[in-house]
Amino acid sequence: MKTQTRRQWIVTHEWMVKPMRQKEWISGRGVLVWLAEVFSALGMGTYLVGLLAGIGGLTTGAWWATVIGWLLIVFFKLPLHFAYLGRKRNFWRAIPPFTRAWRTSWFARGMFFSIVFVSTGFLQIVFWYLLHWVDLSASAVDIVTVLAWIVGIIAGVFIVLTGVYCGFAMSYCKSLPFWNTGLLPVVFVIMGIADGLALTMGVSLVTGNDVAIESLEFWSRILLVVNALLIAGYLIRAYRRHSTAELAAQDLIKGSTAWVFWILLVILGIAVPLAISFATMLMAEGQAESLLIVAIVCHTIGAFALKYSVLKVGIYRSVLPNVG
Amino acid sequence: MRWGMVINLAKCMRCHACVAACRIEHFLPLHVTWMKLIAYEVDEGGAVDVSTYPVRCNQCADAPCVHVCPTEASHQRDDGIVVIDANKCIGCRYCVIACPYQNRTFLSIDLNPGYFPGYEKTAFEKKGEELYPHTVGTTEKCNFCAERIDDGMSRGLVPGIDRDATPACVNTCQARALTFGDLDDPDSEVNALIRKYKGFQLRAEYGTDPSVYYIDYSHGGRSNIAPRTAQTGSHIQHLSSIDRDAARRLHIEPKSARPKEAEEVTS
Repeated sequence: MKTQTRRQWIVTHEWMVKPMRQKEWISGRGVLVWLAEVFSALGMGTYLVGLLAGIGGLTTGAWWATVIGWLLIVFFKLPLHFAYLGRKRNFWRAIPPFTRAWRTSWFARGMFFSIVFVSTGFLQIVFWYLLHWVDLSASAVDIVTVLAWIVGIIAGVFIVLTGVYCGFAMSYCKSLPFWNTGLLPVVFVIMGIADGLALTMGVSLVTGNDVAIESLEFWSRILLVVNALLIAGYLIRAYRRHSTAELAAQDLIKGSTAWVFWILLVILGIAVPLAISFATMLMAEGQAESLLIVAIVCHTIGAFALKYSVLKVGIYRSVLPNVG
Repeated sequence: MRWGMVINLAKCMRCHACVAACRIEHFLPLHVTWMKLIAYEVDEGGAVDVSTYPVRCNQCADAPCVHVCPTEASHQRDDGIVVIDANKCIGCRYCVIACPYQNRTFLSIDLNPGYFPGYEKTAFEKKGEELYPHTVGTTEKCNFCAERIDDGMSRGLVPGIDRDATPACVNTCQARALTFGDLDDPDSEVNALIRKYKGFQLRAEYGTDPSVYYIDYSHGGRSNIAPRTAQTGSHIQHLSSIDRDAARRLHIEPKSARPKEAEEVTS
């Protein structure tokens, strides 16, 4: 039957009627949120890997990795988040004890995690500097070592929380089914640590391979495989879970965001580093450096692509029932 | 006490008066609307018709926007209305993302270019800056005309019954499609309507318990609801409080202006 429109005097909407993309955190000034979250993951991964490597045996490379991780959080993540705020002079209101919102708000918690990390991370970096470069007396070494352990543990816990809170903040949103899953923070953390391994490898190349690159590569391989499986599982779950989540997954796989997903994330961010990682196993020492640099660059591109694609396909369910 | 609203979809005649009343009541910037009339196509037996949903903030009892706000700028009053303290808001827009009903607007400078960009501000805009200032860089939404409710109740009036204590959109609705009242009072008109016509909430499955209910008995036979005194043209009266000459032109007296507005007029 031929359809006809009875009334044409009113313009129909798609907003609220059909599933629509969120724009606040990816379009316009929203790119600042995307970049902040990328640096959050890179900073978290690099600091954490540096910290764990340094606990195994303090080296120049491990120290520099913690410094770079700390700097990424302090000079990239936090300023980018700050730049995004509509009323910057009010930012202190989001920090405990000026707010009690940390009981429910992941954003307020994130501010708290970041501040604790920045403070304790700075102390840990100073203590490691003293232990590695300054001649201390035996009793001073004992005291500084204990202090470094204490602040190191606190900083380690809080850098993970700093890296993971945005995943929880996003997964809290019930009307965005693609985000509304507990898998999201896990994907972000695993990918962040894998990126951190890559950046620490880069640091180690500069500082003379004093952090065992073979060991970093070994863990990087494992995490890349785990993350590839997690992303696949995430997409399968999205397909099965909800029609709007399925729509988001389709957009990622074959829609307008597909080139970011397939080329930048899957190929450059996961497949190439994984292939290089396996290839370097067969190469002699010293031959793989240029390949490692390629892997590190690809890894970092993958970090940008992961957050971009997830934020981009945040699609709201329609608000109105039984329409659209 | 928990203020709530019932929207009768069968009675709504899509006149947009509620949208206009809200704009006038709160001096909304050009591209900001707290109250919206969402239009969509429906298939009526092979013919495409247009239907509408009037939407505004649902004032959820378990509001995600309140939970996610890092500064407690979004908070819930004892009467259930969710309000935003612009002085506390940092403009992080987490509430805009988390609102399952997409009813929050971030007031960026692009949304507030003035009614006639490039020209002098209108008298309406200038008055709005004094009476109801909007802070660029913060989030906004419908507040059930909380200021009208507070002012009216302080004078012993009853929201939903007395016009001066009732939201502007409800007052203005010529079709009487909007009903306002106390959801905690089992004998209130809103509860009677919800019970009688099986009122439903938007996306109740989110568990947010919205305070805005919809009823649609258009397919079950119409039933007229008794007319109430709390209706008709408050926005004309509101305008008259801004411009005394306008009141004279309209041959009405500005008798219910709120104290601050009355001060402005008489000074």
